[in-house]
Amino acid sequence: MVLKILLGVLLTAVIIFGLGLPMSPHPQAWYELPVIPGLGEKARIIFFHVPTAWLSVVAFLTSMVYAIAYLRKRDLSYDIRSSAAAGLGFMFCILATLTGAVWAKFNWGSYWNWDPRETSIFVLLLIYGAYFSLRSAVETEEKRAALSSAYAIIAAVTVPFFIFIMPRIMTGLHPGAKGDPEGAGPVVEFKMSPNMRIIFFSSLVAFTLLFYWMFTLRVRTAQVEAHNHQRG
Amino acid sequence: MDFLAQNQLYIVMIIVLAIWLGIYIYLFRLDGRVKKLENQIRE
Repeated sequence: MVLKILLGVLLTAVIIFGLGLPMSPHPQAWYELPVIPGLGEKARIIFFHVPTAWLSVVAFLTSMVYAIAYLRKRDLSYDIRSSAAAGLGFMFCILATLTGAVWAKFNWGSYWNWDPRETSIFVLLLIYGAYFSLRSAVETEEKRAALSSAYAIIAAVTVPFFIFIMPRIMTGLHPGAKGDPEGAGPVVEFKMSPNMRIIFFSSLVAFTLLFYWMFTLRVRTAQVEAHNHQRG
Repeated sequence: MDFLAQNQLYIVMIIVLAIWLGIYIYLFRLDGRVKKLENQIRE
């Protein structure tokens, strides 16, 4: 209950302050956000777009943890948790892709242009898309759980690489990518001021709480479904 | 498009709406599953 109230308060505050605080080229007061060259007002999407990508990482790693737990204990309730987390991770991955594409349209001029960041999230979507086709292809419950657990572990190992490493070592347009050595590309220097950082990390916490809530709801539903299924 | 390029705050609004829509669809489908379970229990 405390967590739900905290989520409500935090996310409301993030939306109000993230959208509402004025931007100024030379911030003086505590409430003024700095103007980031090349981003302008669009910089505010960091409070909403990055947490969705963050949640897909959290969800995929949660999926891996429960997949390992399943393989050790062979308890189907762990498989339920693992697949629920993967489902939520996939949804937030799609949201990160869509919101990123809208932003790219106005920052880079087109919805999709195979930037390293876009390529890596696309590969990630393919990897987890395959996870769900694997699950729907196997009829027997135990076999499905074992196969998809093994797959979830291997898939999650690739997640840090695609989200954190690959886009940073390749030259790209996405903020945080390795800069163009010639300095010719429109690479954006992204440094957050302390007040932006507070909103940003509050947003990460709020979205993580949101994930936890959606995850437990989904798991509870799936557990009752499994229970009903067993009783016929 | 020109309007959005000049009023970039609305782009952020579109992005927030997209995330909200995703969560909303997820909740909607979850609600459908719960409803199915309730019907099963009633039978």
